[in-house]
Amino acid sequence: MINISHLTKKYNRFKANDNLSFTVNDGEIAVLAGPNGAGKSTAIKCIAGLLRFEGEIEICGYNNKSIEAKKILGYIPEIPAPFELLTIWEHMEFIARAYHLENWEERANDLIHRMELDSRKNKLGKELSKGMQQKISICCALLISPKALLFDEPFVGLDPHAIKELKSMLLELKAQGISIIISTHMLDSVNEFWDRVFIMMDGRIEAERERQMVEESGENLEELFFNITERNNKQKVKE
Amino acid sequence: MNDVKYEFAQDTRALFGGYLALLHFISIPIMLKGLSTGTSFFSMSDVNNIFVAPLSSKKILVYGVGRQLASMLFLVVCFSAYGGMVIRVFRLSVSNSLLLIAGILIMLVLVQMITLMIFCLSSGHPRRASVLKYFIYAIPIYSLTVVGIYMFQKGMTIENLLSAVSNQLLQYTPVIGWLHGLIFGIIDRNIESIVIYGLLLLISMLICIGVFIYTKLDYYEDILQKAESYYEFRDAIRTGNMSESVMLGSRKIKISRHGIGKGHGAQAIFYKHLKEGTRRSRFRFLNINTIVLMVIALITGLVMNQIIVGPFKKTIIFAGVTIICSYVQFFFSASGDWVKELSKPYIFLIPDDPVKKLIMASATSIIKPFIDGAVAYITLSCVLGGWITDIITSILVYGSFGCVYIAANVLAQRIVGMNGNRGIFITFYMSLIFLLMIPGIFFGVLSLVYFRHILFGITVIAATVMGIPIFLWNILICFLIFFTCKNLLNNVE
Repeated sequence: MINISHLTKKYNRFKANDNLSFTVNDGEIAVLAGPNGAGKSTAIKCIAGLLRFEGEIEICGYNNKSIEAKKILGYIPEIPAPFELLTIWEHMEFIARAYHLENWEERANDLIHRMELDSRKNKLGKELSKGMQQKISICCALLISPKALLFDEPFVGLDPHAIKELKSMLLELKAQGISIIISTHMLDSVNEFWDRVFIMMDGRIEAERERQMVEESGENLEELFFNITERNNKQKVKE
Repeated sequence: MNDVKYEFAQDTRALFGGYLALLHFISIPIMLKGLSTGTSFFSMSDVNNIFVAPLSSKKILVYGVGRQLASMLFLVVCFSAYGGMVIRVFRLSVSNSLLLIAGILIMLVLVQMITLMIFCLSSGHPRRASVLKYFIYAIPIYSLTVVGIYMFQKGMTIENLLSAVSNQLLQYTPVIGWLHGLIFGIIDRNIESIVIYGLLLLISMLICIGVFIYTKLDYYEDILQKAESYYEFRDAIRTGNMSESVMLGSRKIKISRHGIGKGHGAQAIFYKHLKEGTRRSRFRFLNINTIVLMVIALITGLVMNQIIVGPFKKTIIFAGVTIICSYVQFFFSASGDWVKELSKPYIFLIPDDPVKKLIMASATSIIKPFIDGAVAYITLSCVLGGWITDIITSILVYGSFGCVYIAANVLAQRIVGMNGNRGIFITFYMSLIFLLMIPGIFFGVLSLVYFRHILFGITVIAATVMGIPIFLWNILICFLIFFTCKNLLNNVE
């Protein structure tokens, strides 16, 4: 479970995140949607423990900056940052060693196979395309068998096969009871599996919907998104 | 000793040689840029906006070269600041001093024209580029050979060095030597030099213009790739994120042994750095910085050997070399493993004690200066001789200054933040280095004064008596800062 309580992130006077509070239960996929600059990536980075913030964030009951939380948290950044002088396999080995994993080889091989990186196992990080670097990030985050997962724009740069495979992985992880937060502005890409959506504007959550609620009311996720974001834009123009 | 130094500085032969070296320093790198398909002529915004505009490619190239020239003019402003010093030290008139600055300005214009010509000839022709590269390398090699042969024949003394660098043969060096000949011809009122070198320069200019006018140019593709990597490089310098891709460029890395092999938790970071080190350089801790340091140590040592006399001669040489090398080390420390590690999210995510992570992430950066120091000082002692105590103390002090640089960096990151203004960060970082070093040096001097009565009997331990307190302080302050800044790895800000 990921529990966010009164999360506020300020850059001087500018509030990138303004008093966000929400919970993502076990086996739930939550989507942070919103236009560019809404504060989605900042929120993800705060949850990953990479930024300073006000408020409280708990990962499965542990403070997100604690060692216990780090052990069970997987994070896939928006911009992949592999180690340029390590091979793909060495990335897996490094993560396994750093996280004290045992018998990780089989899982690493499976992840590499599913991301179609088998033939490039011995390629260095610097020799890989942006898409492949993104695949390494995904493999590294999943290797630790996390209980909570954070994806920041995960589908950007991936080829169609990898997108399909990642979607099926997400469903498997959900079935295993893992809490997942995905930040994206590509609503189509998450249409098949989201459970809960938070639409963000100007650092705030403007709307929160559960899948069942949307399906019962006949509301469409895309329409909902445009209604909220365009309404806010019009208000801003008037002001 | 002071008298000797004064005479050395006052000798106009030093000005003659120094000015020629300066002209080399300004022009050779710019000429080489012409071969690397104009890496710095155009920015990414130029490529995206001007290349697609309905303008002739030659006009665009002139714009690119002119743009670079404008940025180079800043150099002239910097050098003009030394005008006063040159007038005072070499007893030059103001007009002659201005003439020297004008010479630099002319060199900049000339070298841009040559760069343009080189670019026109080499763009899209890799073989021509490699031939031209040898021509450019031949210029400084010729000058070094002239100086080297003279020194070899006459002997390695300061006097012979001054005679060598003021050798008239150096003015035969194409363009650089000719301009030097013209400027010093005017200063000496030597009509023959003015006419010959002036004509040679004029002909060079006409050749450059001719080549530019009559060459068909199609350089957009070359520029596009290079501008992207140059943009990345500049961005990396601006943000301080010097990733391996930026540092290594397109260099091919040979993978001989796979796997990290050792370490768990934070230790894995250290073993990862060792693995990356072997990929960067076959000898792991030894790289180009080691060689540069060794050369600097040798040159400084040899020069000091000519100047210094007295019972503590070798000790003073080692101390002087340590001061110079420690200063140079500041520039090497900017690209240490630990700085690179901060540009990735993994170090912040790894579930281990932050102090352990900090120590392990900077371990290779701490070890390297000790190894570099060992290579430099052992080589220096092989050439000049020296007591084992001096050598060991110099290695320890030099290595410990590396620890201070890292500690100051950690402290600056903690206080200013990793994403803050780079200018403020660098200023703060440098001030911190200065502040952290002062107590160690104070303790060293204090120790030397306190134990001076012993030193009159045992000169062999003079360096140790002063160096060990410096070493101990540097190591102590480093670990103290590591411990107090353990929260640095709590977030990337």
